Amino acid sequence: MKLLVAEDEPKTGIYLQQGLTEAGFNVDRVMTGTDALQHALSEAYDLLILDVMMPGLDGWEVLRMIRAAGKDVPVLFLTARDGVEDRVKGLELGADDYLVKPFAFSELLARVRTLLRRGNSSPTQTTMKIADLEVDLLKRRAVRSGKRIDLTAKEFALLELLLRRRGEVLPKSLIASQVWDMNFDSDTNVIEVAVRRLRAKIDDEFELKLIHTARGMGYMLDAPESE
Amino acid sequence: MKHLSLTARMSLMFMLAVIAVLTVAGLSFNELSRHHFMMLDQQTLDEKLESTQQILSNTRSHADLEGVLPQLKALLGAHHDLAAVIFANDGTVLFAEPQAFNVPEKYRLNPDHGMWEWEENGHMYRGMTAQVSTPDQPAFLTALLILDVTNHVHFFETLQRWFWLGLVISALVSAALGWVVARSGLRPLRQVTLVATSMSARSLKERIPLEPVPLELQQLVTSFNAMLARLDDAFVRLSNFSADIAHELRTPLSNLMTHTEVVLTQKRNLEAYEENLYSNLEDLKRMSRMIDDMLFLAKSDNGLIIPEQTRIEFSEVVTKLFEYYHLIADEHGIQLVVTGSGSVLGDKLMLDRAISNLLSNALRYTPAGKIISVTIKSTASAITLIVENPGETIKPEHLDKLFDRFYRVDPARREGSPSNAGLGLAITRSIVESHKGKIWCTSGNGITAFHMEFPQQPS
Repeated sequence: MKLLVAEDEPKTGIYLQQGLTEAGFNVDRVMTGTDALQHALSEAYDLLILDVMMPGLDGWEVLRMIRAAGKDVPVLFLTARDGVEDRVKGLELGADDYLVKPFAFSELLARVRTLLRRGNSSPTQTTMKIADLEVDLLKRRAVRSGKRIDLTAKEFALLELLLRRRGEVLPKSLIASQVWDMNFDSDTNVIEVAVRRLRAKIDDEFELKLIHTARGMGYMLDAPESE
Repeated sequence: MKHLSLTARMSLMFMLAVIAVLTVAGLSFNELSRHHFMMLDQQTLDEKLESTQQILSNTRSHADLEGVLPQLKALLGAHHDLAAVIFANDGTVLFAEPQAFNVPEKYRLNPDHGMWEWEENGHMYRGMTAQVSTPDQPAFLTALLILDVTNHVHFFETLQRWFWLGLVISALVSAALGWVVARSGLRPLRQVTLVATSMSARSLKERIPLEPVPLELQQLVTSFNAMLARLDDAFVRLSNFSADIAHELRTPLSNLMTHTEVVLTQKRNLEAYEENLYSNLEDLKRMSRMIDDMLFLAKSDNGLIIPEQTRIEFSEVVTKLFEYYHLIADEHGIQLVVTGSGSVLGDKLMLDRAISNLLSNALRYTPAGKIISVTIKSTASAITLIVENPGETIKPEHLDKLFDRFYRVDPARREGSPSNAGLGLAITRSIVESHKGKIWCTSGNGITAFHMEFPQQPS
């Protein structure tokens, strides 16, 4: 997966590049709008991450020209300005997502993966398996090591989210938004409690732990030998 | 007129008023004087003509005329502007004193007792004609009495000249006086201006004194003072807010710096660095969230928060939030109960957030094993949502301030989780207010309740 990061602030750009590279992406970094446009038109990227405020061409201008050139590569905007009209402008121009600085890197990573997945949607699975955990999405049933696990609706939704995005660190805000439709930060530890309860049912009795905590960032479901 | 100063405007108007009054007075005086002189002339002519007729009525023939001449001369001599001409029936001049006049023909034989006037050689004359009858001879003689009124004309010319001169002088003097009057009259206004000019953000506490201001300006000064009070209030709140921001950001920043520096003073193992970074991350997230919250409030203060208008059923929102919060409630054995229903037009995300803040707040202060109840009431005029929880009674002096930014009942204690910056209730209030609602808190007998009230909108 090849990404382009266009960010004029060097420190931010370098950290983004490092973080994304370590997450397994192939990342090119440019610092001006003009370079971003040139790269985007001449090379095939899977995703562009554009800062809105850049010298030369700004992010919107770059996006306009890329779309005008007939490229429909997904674009994620980064901006320090959080105005509704900015958001609307970006989305009207065909941006796919929008992140306001300061953002958590785990949040950025989660969104990047969502955007990349959007392009090649895998056929809808009805069952998922990780290690000895089997989940039937249609019957809403989870079985580990042949043992049936009773889950509440929300617990099942949480497990399904973690499974679908196995190997990714999911920020608490994303979990709250996807499972409980809480689209704003709440200063409570509900997610911790929810994950703790899910763990009690999924992991506690077993030697191999599937749910992992990425401290300060979020949670991840993974198994060592997962394919 | 638009660009003239008030003083100039008032001087000008004062001057115009004086000119108008003087002109009317002058013209009236002129007209009255003319009339008066004319009456005087007529009276003189009448009297003299009657005397002349008397004298002449005693003459029987033209020869007798010689005898009455001295009488006539004495009569006329008393008035040196007066002249007399006496004609015979055939038009011959029998007597002319002091000189012969070339009296126009039409006046010469005009016995209709009216007064006539004509001008000749720059002289103005008024005259009267009368026929003298004797007992045996009707219309025996015609007597003409002529008054030279040139003096009167001159008098009026002089009068007019002086009048115009006087008018110009009066206009100038009145303009000057008007200026002085206007300036002194407007002095209070200038003083008000002076005070207003000297106002700065630093001196918003000052007020323009009301006592020395004239009645007409008191309304203005009162409004101005009220504006200052509002500005002052807003400014104080803004300064407090800025001070709070500085303070609230300073704490995590100072943690970050101290912690990082301490860690860097000596070589440590990997876990120590990791620990430091995690701790830093927590502080950074807290700051980031605080900035988000403060930006939300700043936007809401500037009227930039425009809620969407969709119909939102409160009982659904509360049920959804209960699903989320019951996890924590269960941990503490707290029960969540919702009763009633009601809907408003509003922004789903924002109202979610407002109610969520109240619930998380209630969860924070409710003792284990108790019940948090949400009551939704819908009346003809309003929708109310009340979040009630048992807990320590909040003192009345704190109730209003609960919704202020960064306000804490006990300033020394940071309640709840470290990420609770004291902005939650302020955000809730700004959301409620942007939906034209009201929010207030009551507390007593160990029960604290937050009331939200929205106007009922037709569906």
